[in-house]
Amino acid sequence: MDHTSTFERILRGILLALVVLFFMFPIFWILLMSFQTNESILRMPPSVFFTPTFDNYIALVTGEMRTAAGSLQLNFMQNLWNSVLLSTTSVAVALVLGVPAAYAFARFKFRLGEDIAFTLLSFRFAPPLLVLLPLSLYFKSLGLTNTYIGLIWVYQLICLPLILWIVRGYFEDLSPDIEHAHRIAGYSWFQTFRKIAVPLALPGIAAAGLLAFIFSWNNFVFALVLASADKQPVTVGALAFVTASGIQYGQIAAAIVMSVIPTFVLAMFAQRYLVEGLSLGAVKG
Amino acid sequence: MSQLAFSNLSKAFGSFKVFDGLSLAAEAGEIVVIFGSSGTGKTFLLRLIAGVEEPTTGTIEIGGRDVTEIPPEQRNVGMAFQNFALFPHMSARENIASPLRAAHADEATVESGVSRVAKLLKIDHVLGHAPRELSNGQKQRTALARALAAEPRILLLDDPLRNVDAKLRFEMRLELPRLLRQSGATVLYVTQDYKEAMALADRIAVLAGGRFVQVGTPEEIYMAPSTLGVAKLFGDPSINTLETRLSADGMWVAIRGKDIRIDKAAKLGGREVILGVRPEAVALTQSQVGLPATVMAVTPLNERVVLLLESDGGWEFLASLPSAAADIPEPNTRLSVTFAAEGVHLFDPTTGERLHG
Amino acid sequence: MRKALPYLLSLPALLMCIGILIPFFTAVYYSMLRYRLNLPAMKGFIWFDNYINFFTDPKFWNTLKISLIYAGLTVVLELILGLVIALLLQKRSRVNNFVSILLLLPLMTAPALAALMWKLMTNPNFGILSYLVSLIGFPDMKWGSDPSTALFTVVLVDMWVYTPFMMILLLAGLRSLPTAPFEAAALDGVPRSFVFFRITLPMLMPYLLTATLFRLLDSIQQFDIIYAMTQGGPGDKLLVFQVQAYLDFFQATNVGRSAALMIILWAITYFLSNIFIKQWLKLRERAHGAA
Repeated sequence: MDHTSTFERILRGILLALVVLFFMFPIFWILLMSFQTNESILRMPPSVFFTPTFDNYIALVTGEMRTAAGSLQLNFMQNLWNSVLLSTTSVAVALVLGVPAAYAFARFKFRLGEDIAFTLLSFRFAPPLLVLLPLSLYFKSLGLTNTYIGLIWVYQLICLPLILWIVRGYFEDLSPDIEHAHRIAGYSWFQTFRKIAVPLALPGIAAAGLLAFIFSWNNFVFALVLASADKQPVTVGALAFVTASGIQYGQIAAAIVMSVIPTFVLAMFAQRYLVEGLSLGAVKG
Repeated sequence: MSQLAFSNLSKAFGSFKVFDGLSLAAEAGEIVVIFGSSGTGKTFLLRLIAGVEEPTTGTIEIGGRDVTEIPPEQRNVGMAFQNFALFPHMSARENIASPLRAAHADEATVESGVSRVAKLLKIDHVLGHAPRELSNGQKQRTALARALAAEPRILLLDDPLRNVDAKLRFEMRLELPRLLRQSGATVLYVTQDYKEAMALADRIAVLAGGRFVQVGTPEEIYMAPSTLGVAKLFGDPSINTLETRLSADGMWVAIRGKDIRIDKAAKLGGREVILGVRPEAVALTQSQVGLPATVMAVTPLNERVVLLLESDGGWEFLASLPSAAADIPEPNTRLSVTFAAEGVHLFDPTTGERLHG
Repeated sequence: MRKALPYLLSLPALLMCIGILIPFFTAVYYSMLRYRLNLPAMKGFIWFDNYINFFTDPKFWNTLKISLIYAGLTVVLELILGLVIALLLQKRSRVNNFVSILLLLPLMTAPALAALMWKLMTNPNFGILSYLVSLIGFPDMKWGSDPSTALFTVVLVDMWVYTPFMMILLLAGLRSLPTAPFEAAALDGVPRSFVFFRITLPMLMPYLLTATLFRLLDSIQQFDIIYAMTQGGPGDKLLVFQVQAYLDFFQATNVGRSAALMIILWAITYFLSNIFIKQWLKLRERAHGAA
């Protein structure tokens, strides 16, 4: 229907290919590196043809790195475990505390609720170190530095506002009449919350939980400030790993691959929720 | 002792008053229609009684017990919402069963309770469907079935026929009274359709301006409307009105220069009034005693025929005659009309209050 | 009990607020202290001296300058690139959907890890990117460790991570636009450039503004990428607000200065976020109106 279509289609194709190249190449390349020995990585010019090896992954999983100079202990698996523990527990805690609060904000219009919502919103964009640096001093005097409890607590700074905002929006979109009907049918407030409000807002809760998990997993600065090696998640651990291992590039690449796999898998399986959560998180909730 | 009573019920949002001192008492098995135009807070009143909203002042009693502070689940009421408010993630069966399950009924009781109301409402063949798979009529019946299932003492129906098509509305208007009588519950029924109100109600409570302007049987409301507003709400076509003055003896009223006999109380003699004449009360005659008028237009309306008439003085008014009437005049026919006394009402021009018994 | 319920439910959120507000006011207090962890004897209340000192402190002006340049550069580049990609992917097709899912992956990568990935790719000895640029006439490019290319390098990483975010928001915006004006324009044979600048862009404007402000708020506080890539170096080249405050606190142990820096950054973000929230509420209203 329009005479530029062939030329335009080719141009679009080229542009799209460039876009995919720019955004996918780093992932592709690090993945390749993770299956290479150091010798193969250091060979110039770089090549995509090499004999793949699982040594990097084996070294990370067994926690022992054999080099010419002897063997070196690695605690990357500990970091990975810390990430899993911190992210899942934080999101679970935030859901248990945040979903009822989001419901209260959505359903009961009360002054305190508005004030809390406003405060959280205005700090949503505050620099994290503003709160973290004084908190690190408090943590020291409370004995919370480098504890899981302390970290899960500060991770609520990421998870809770996110869940409150997104889930609140979903609750507000539900017709209150449905809940009223359930109450009148003879159910207590809590039963109605559990059997009507939560199931109907489940897509929103899932999106918020997913987003909170990803933000927790990817967080760097909280643990950098408040945790030392044995409690650090992969983000901080990988950086320390670079400093410690220095030239074990293949293992660094393998560590990065293992660190991003959980969020990548989540993104692939739940991309619909994710996109919704991201755009709602910014545009709506 | 009344089954449902509320007194002095008020609700205000800031300075905006939805209701101001509503009181009503209804007997067991009585059907009370809450009637009013949209935006008068009829639905809100039902919510207050159900307990999902709280009144600013006033008390609500159900079966003699003060329930004002009691949460909705303990009030033993059933409610059907105008928008149905079915639980979207449950089948029609589970929707209907929900009040029975809430009362911890055993499985057999639930089963028999659901099938009883489902048969009654002719939805037993769609019980397995999710709400989104039901037609509007089926949704409405499911909502009604859910409200009836646990045999509540109080049944609150919020304009249940509003969102269904005309045919079903007509059918349900015939079925509902029997159904509601059978339930034995005290029914508060909200509608803004006066015919529905007249067809269903033992009593009608007319809500306007946050107050009940009149509470009475359909006959009372129709035959003796307490205000001009109520008179206008009931009747189709609506009551004819004219601002005028009564003769000194109260027997005559001036209609654009022509005195017409209406035989009303003498004590009102000589004052300014609003004359209201129901179109059904307008009688056509060929004799010279009545008000001379010309037929301007003739329109059939259901089983009646509506005539637009213009008096010699230029007052336009409507007459409604049975279609079966022997001689429906042609347009431009000259004739004269008289008014049947029971269809003539006088109201105060400033307050709109009814001026006679 | 009925009246207390909402308060009971929002208790965690309330505690959270308190948990934020206490450190916040502590930070405000610290920012008015002469407070070095290594010199506890010097501790004292000095009102606004930390702030006043900034006026004559070239290090502060460097921080402000770098932060603004970084934020401005990343947001503008990501906005343009994000818009172009969103326009490319606007039509719903299998390929486009697949590509838009693929583009989620950089966004799912922790920024700190993304920085490490790029660090591996830009290693002067074996990095693939170093090799590739040497082929087109830039041998010995030092990327993040060279003062002249450090900013470029971290901006590139930032773009890699966050452009998909812009793209997602703008794509959602584009796909939510009413189709009638475009159909009318196509029927009337209106030139494409006119359609784009006079119809698409103005209609997309609320989304563009929201996305821009959102990214600006994030970008002016960037820490992860810069810290993981260069720790603020080389020299003072990349000492943006949060990196500078972190180093002030943990290396120089100058709590007062660090807190004052954070308060200033907070003031900037507070100002920006107020504009953002207004814009966002408007958009939210519009989204609700359309639904």
